[in-house]
Amino acid sequence: MMFPPTSDSSKARWLFAWLASLVLWIAGCSNNPYPQPERLVREDGTPWQVRYSALPEDPRSLDPQVSYDSVSRRILEPVQECLLEYHPMKTDPYELRPCLLEALPERLDRPGGGHTYRCTLKAGIFFQEDPCFPEGKGREVTAEDVHYAFQRIADPKLESPVLSTLQDYVVGMGEAFEEGRKNGRYDYSHRLSGLEVTGRYTFDLHVSRPYPQLLYWLAMHFTSPVAREAVEYYDGQLHGGETRPLFRFHPIGTGPFRLAEWKRNAFVRLVRNPHYKTTRFPEEGWGGDREAALRPLAGKALPLIDEVHMTIFKETIPIFMLFRQGYLDGMGLGKDAFSSLMTPSRELSQKYRERGVGLHRSTEPSTFFMSLNMEDPVVGPNKRLRQALSSAFDVQKYLDVFANSVPLAAQQILPPGIAGYRKDFQNPYGYNLERAKALLAEAGYPSGRDASGKVLELTFDTAATSATERAMAEFEQKQFEQLGIRVRVVENTFARLMEKLDQGSFQIASGSGWMADYPDPENFLFLKYSKNVPPAGKNESRYKNPEFDRLFEKMAAMENSPEREQIVHQLIEILAEDVPMIMNMHRSQFGLTQPWAPQVQDNPMLEGGFKYAVLDVSLREAKRSEWNAQPLWPVGILAGLFVVGAIFGLRSSKKE
Amino acid sequence: MLAYLIRRLVFSVPIVFGVMLVTFFLFFVVQSPTAMARRILGQKATPQAVENWLHNRGYDKPLLVNTRSGEAVYDTLFVSQMKRLVTFDLGNSDVSGRPLRDVFASGVLPSLLITVPAFFVGFLMALGVSLYLVFVRDSLLDVVATLLCVALMSVPPMVYIIFGQYLVAQQLNYLPAFGFSLQGLSTVKFLFLPVGLMVISGIGAEVRLYRALFLEELGQDYIRTARAKGLSSTRVLMVHVLKNGMINLITVVVASLPFLIMGSVVMENFFGIPGLGNVLFSAIQASDFAVVQASVFLGSLLHLGGLLLTDLCYAWVDPRIRFQ
Repeated sequence: MMFPPTSDSSKARWLFAWLASLVLWIAGCSNNPYPQPERLVREDGTPWQVRYSALPEDPRSLDPQVSYDSVSRRILEPVQECLLEYHPMKTDPYELRPCLLEALPERLDRPGGGHTYRCTLKAGIFFQEDPCFPEGKGREVTAEDVHYAFQRIADPKLESPVLSTLQDYVVGMGEAFEEGRKNGRYDYSHRLSGLEVTGRYTFDLHVSRPYPQLLYWLAMHFTSPVAREAVEYYDGQLHGGETRPLFRFHPIGTGPFRLAEWKRNAFVRLVRNPHYKTTRFPEEGWGGDREAALRPLAGKALPLIDEVHMTIFKETIPIFMLFRQGYLDGMGLGKDAFSSLMTPSRELSQKYRERGVGLHRSTEPSTFFMSLNMEDPVVGPNKRLRQALSSAFDVQKYLDVFANSVPLAAQQILPPGIAGYRKDFQNPYGYNLERAKALLAEAGYPSGRDASGKVLELTFDTAATSATERAMAEFEQKQFEQLGIRVRVVENTFARLMEKLDQGSFQIASGSGWMADYPDPENFLFLKYSKNVPPAGKNESRYKNPEFDRLFEKMAAMENSPEREQIVHQLIEILAEDVPMIMNMHRSQFGLTQPWAPQVQDNPMLEGGFKYAVLDVSLREAKRSEWNAQPLWPVGILAGLFVVGAIFGLRSSKKE
Repeated sequence: MLAYLIRRLVFSVPIVFGVMLVTFFLFFVVQSPTAMARRILGQKATPQAVENWLHNRGYDKPLLVNTRSGEAVYDTLFVSQMKRLVTFDLGNSDVSGRPLRDVFASGVLPSLLITVPAFFVGFLMALGVSLYLVFVRDSLLDVVATLLCVALMSVPPMVYIIFGQYLVAQQLNYLPAFGFSLQGLSTVKFLFLPVGLMVISGIGAEVRLYRALFLEELGQDYIRTARAKGLSSTRVLMVHVLKNGMINLITVVVASLPFLIMGSVVMENFFGIPGLGNVLFSAIQASDFAVVQASVFLGSLLHLGGLLLTDLCYAWVDPRIRFQ
């Protein structure tokens, strides 16, 4: 124990000792930002493999029937397995394959219309080990757990975001929801008629009308099995002096990882589930260019790594710093780091290529556009006017200015990879100013003026609350005003804009778009289906075309086939000609990977795909040491200063 | 003293009520609950989902007066919100549904781990430097140091953070640029840089203020008397000026003590420290008005507490001040 000194000389020595310790402590520190992983080595003595990645915020809810945001999905995906899953490498077209199910469901005709999907769960799949089960051993998954999951979707208190869609198809789900709402609580003892459990592992899912998209819902965690005892155990109450978390913060799944730790506003840690055996690394499906890298992994047990550490970053600068230091295995390339990392020709800079950093561009299955209100007396009935507005908007220039040309300029409502997407299709009313002016004249507004000579004035509603958003709105305004018309920009909050889009109180509005729930053309084309005008759905343009509706209904009930593709092409052409919206972009982004963590899967329908991730830990350690060497000269200078100070202090005290 | 304390507490009640009114007005009138729901539920939310969200949180009640048949007139959003605040039932986060008491409790320690050391180290350093500058007042060193203080004050905190992270964490590689861990001594390595930067970013203003306060004391008659008695400059400074200057310092220092709990929004975000500043920032980003509203309410209570504490300390250290 160190006692405070009394004499001046011992004071100086004491101070010197402390300062020297401080210098040595700093010198002994590293800039590694992570706490110790769960383990350092595996049971076989090989290094414990931890993948380090970034999250922009805390997950909102990890309840599989509720969670809808991408951050939460990123954590749920490796923890809570689904009945079906996407093949990690097949994206054109996307392919579903069994996960918890033995095989893809068998579709049977149902008496009275609709279909029955006959499903069989794999036997011997267990929930992860957790105190909510007897003796902490995970229980086997049965068909009852799927039934319980569907009941939870219908529980009004849970606010499942997919209820509004599924209740239209799954037999009895809407009624169950209404009953729960009326009674103030959902009665879980009532069986859901739409999901009939026929055996320990078998169940029939009944839909009231043809809905081939149902299979995609089985690949989402909303329909994945849930252990009732886990929901009841994690109730957020005090038990034996300890408060248990709520189930929505403590998911119990069958996935390759379990949620080991979640420090709010700091990090989330997933650790491998040692009993995982549901799926293995695919044996085919990657392109020829990745054959050498992926063939050795074919058929291997998953996951390939032991731990995933996701750090929560609210600012982008530290992400870039940690990536440069080798403390992050991958990062999305945002605006801040774009100019530092990329050349003007959109290639990775020499410095990072030499480091072995990989650059990957991925396009989300999403489409963004400006809505034109078809119920507006000026814009709605005048097709030529809408065509003129669309032809006046130079989307490529907009993307060059505001998005470093990263997103794809949208030519049609379907994004790439969706069945029916036409690679060769060009929007007939894409940017062409001369044609736009001619169309405007045909619309009855030559040089932007009506017959009485009055300048046409339109309002453009936008959610412009930041300087960048205002600049975007101004750009769009100027594009339209090239026609000689006047465009009044109305700046709204995001919520107000959404309200206007729902109420139809706008002429032109930004902020419309869709990110695919599942990769089917129905999931985009339904945005223009007349029965989806708000409040029923998201047809914010209020587009109503009987021919479109007829074809849409036919297409929506069909399985993918050449005939269906033809119908999708027709629908795309109808929308392109009628212009109920002005096409903007398919969101894309660049991602960077370190040389020790190459990208294995590139399916945008997956969030992270951690179970397929590979790592070369020894290469990472070597590179980290190389990139983070600590210079000794500052320590030397500091130590020298302290020594001089101490000598000076000692001499002074001796003199006194 | 007790009577004074009780009187001050009673006076605080209307102020707290005023704060509650303003908070309610800001979060439920200026920004409607429907707008909150839309922001939280996102672009894909249907009107039915918005309605369900509002209903489950009781945000679909009338704002001030309930005119619905069969319901009490006072069954309103205003009454329910006031009741919650008065009983310190902070409720749950609008976004995650997590109890707010847990949200705040988990953030207090990380916040205090950076604000308390930064506060005391900064205070002691500023005190020492300002006393020394008073000692060498009007010298070249005093002028240079004063200019340096002005320069330090003029640099925005973000610049200190970015430069500090770049130099210490990225070029010298001594300390982490980001992260936090409560694992014994290794916690210190995560605190060292943010605490150091907080001290540096605040010291310029503090030294200028303390120096001005001490110089004011130096012109007092009792100092002239002390000098006339033949006391050394050191004794005059360390005993008389410091002691009497502390009375003024208390007003500045004690009032800021309660705010140490609230953490530092910028510092915590840039260094990934999961404190209350980080909680508040996340809540604003996610439009979690339950958290923001509770933070505003607790912040105003802390402010009132700080002022009360200052008055009490002021009266305690200066016998000339009476509680009347």
